[in-house]
Amino acid sequence: MNSHSAAILVGFLLCAGAILIAMCLIASTTHDTTEPQSVVQPKGYRLRRGWLWALAAVAIVAFGISLAGFPYGKPAEADGPHFKVFAYQYGFQMPPRIPVNTAVVFDVTSRDVNHGFGIYDPTNHLISQVQAMPGYVNHLAVTFTAKGHYTVRCLEYCGIAHAAMQEGFDVQ
Amino acid sequence: MTDATTVFPDRRARNVMWAYITTGIAIFGLMVLVGLGMRAEQAQWLNYGPGLFYSLMTLHGAGMITSMVLCGMGGLWYLMNRERAMDPGIAWTAYAFMTIGVVCVIASVWPGGFGASWTFLYPLPFVGATWPSWATGAFLIGLALIMFGWTVWCTQLLGCVLRAYGGLRGATGWDLVFHHARFEASGKAEPPPYAFAALVTAVDGLLAAAGGMLVGIALIVHWLYPGVAIDPLWAKNLTYFFGHTFANLTIYMAIGLVYYALPKYADREWHTSAVLAVAWWGTLLFVAIAYFHHLYMDFAQPQAVQYVGEVASYLAAFPPAVVTIFGGALLVYRSRLRWTMGSMFMYAGLIGWLIGGIGALIDATVPINVSLHNTLWVPAHFHTYLLEGVALFILGWVFWNLETHSGLTSSVRTRWLTGAGIFGGGGILLLGWYVAGADSVPRRYAAEPAPGPDIAAWASIGAVILVIGLIICCVEAIRLAKSPRTETNP
Repeated sequence: MNSHSAAILVGFLLCAGAILIAMCLIASTTHDTTEPQSVVQPKGYRLRRGWLWALAAVAIVAFGISLAGFPYGKPAEADGPHFKVFAYQYGFQMPPRIPVNTAVVFDVTSRDVNHGFGIYDPTNHLISQVQAMPGYVNHLAVTFTAKGHYTVRCLEYCGIAHAAMQEGFDVQ
Repeated sequence: MTDATTVFPDRRARNVMWAYITTGIAIFGLMVLVGLGMRAEQAQWLNYGPGLFYSLMTLHGAGMITSMVLCGMGGLWYLMNRERAMDPGIAWTAYAFMTIGVVCVIASVWPGGFGASWTFLYPLPFVGATWPSWATGAFLIGLALIMFGWTVWCTQLLGCVLRAYGGLRGATGWDLVFHHARFEASGKAEPPPYAFAALVTAVDGLLAAAGGMLVGIALIVHWLYPGVAIDPLWAKNLTYFFGHTFANLTIYMAIGLVYYALPKYADREWHTSAVLAVAWWGTLLFVAIAYFHHLYMDFAQPQAVQYVGEVASYLAAFPPAVVTIFGGALLVYRSRLRWTMGSMFMYAGLIGWLIGGIGALIDATVPINVSLHNTLWVPAHFHTYLLEGVALFILGWVFWNLETHSGLTSSVRTRWLTGAGIFGGGGILLLGWYVAGADSVPRRYAAEPAPGPDIAAWASIGAVILVIGLIICCVEAIRLAKSPRTETNP
């Protein structure tokens, strides 16, 4: 697991653990001295206001940060080499070699059904992807900074040999 | 628990509810076993091949959502029928269409062998198919029948809500929010919280059904007349609009049942407030437009909707996190809550919903979606809020009814055993998907690349423990159901 994936997983597990502990602590108060709802509720509503603003702040910051990582832009008109990729049941027609440290664009489409074009780095981690759809061309911009053999796997269920649909290319 | 206000006197309405719920739970049980069989194949414990795997995957996806929908329909119909009586005949009609639809879907998979997944993304049902054409037709017609039954039910429920609270203005709590003093002075009672769940389910349910029927009919036309072409992106949008909304509504239907029963356990009230009404308005909108996050990796989509997808996904989390789940925790805090199977399931369901929601929000963040889209992270988060959320709400509702009518509760030992199985085993199962998803293992693979099979092996052990917990739960439910009823029961 690379550091990016590990950070996502650990962050999620920490959040899940915190929720679990908080909810168990709340549940345990039913064994303590009980309080009437009229007493608990006003305190809870004040806390809820803070909870709302805290969540709103997290959401706004997360959205703002995420904007920088949106993969859309206009790669169709981008300079640099374009490589055509055709997905089909059950394989990919694509170039065998891609230049390193070069902004390249994959022009991805499908000859039959919906497929996924998922690029796995030499350590077998998913680094980028786009859908391959019949009748449409999706332009995926990628810059490979490490040499090696990259594997492409289909990431949209496409039929009985979906799991066997893979190809590869060398970055050099 | 056995006071007269909690006893439901209408036997005909109870029959409707239990028909829906028992059918839903029977399908759920079958689909759990199918799911276990799929995970065991990925763990290489079994070796029945991709043809059967993808047929089972199709059945599991369609069957699980339908099972939860049926349970929610039964419970919510029953609750709303107490607000304003509805014609059971219409509910039975909807039930008939849905069960015939389920039979068609099952037949399409076995003996038909249909395996285009519940998403049936055009043109997959027709290209490279390893199943006969009639199986495709049976699946599509079955789905259309389910949609039709759902439409009938939603229409009846919407009529009930509107009649009960004085039209859309009353049902949405408009005056409660914007003319509070006048509303208070009028002496009108605000709709109970579960009525908002019913309204949102009916409205968004009808919209989802319209989308599902549209793409379903288009595919049926293509099945009959292959020369009729369909735009794949149009079909994909409609499929996910329908599928996402339909699946999400299972949560909102089930939470309506929690709104009713959890306060009874806690001996408190779940009030309708202006905040709660506004939260449900948000849910009404955001659930319907958040589906765009399913198409983040379709760069041919208009770019604007990709931004809408992320914003709507984030905003959809606010009503549950700030109002419903927070409200549920507040209801329990320092209350006299009696811990029974019913209350345990409902409270645990709130936790599963929240944790699964965080997993979903991570995946709904576009730059992260690039490395998680269609990996096992996806089944990880939706199983968290369906298996450890919606299913627990439903079980909680079932036990609330059984405990109320028998006047009995389960032993502490039984609760611990059930909890250890369902939460412990379920936790191991879910953790397997999260770890494998973060490690880039693709979803919907009959044979997964490393480290998928190793992770699937210990996840399958979790699934077995989960099944044991469900069996104990089932035995306990039957014990309570067979117990003599208390005097206050009808």
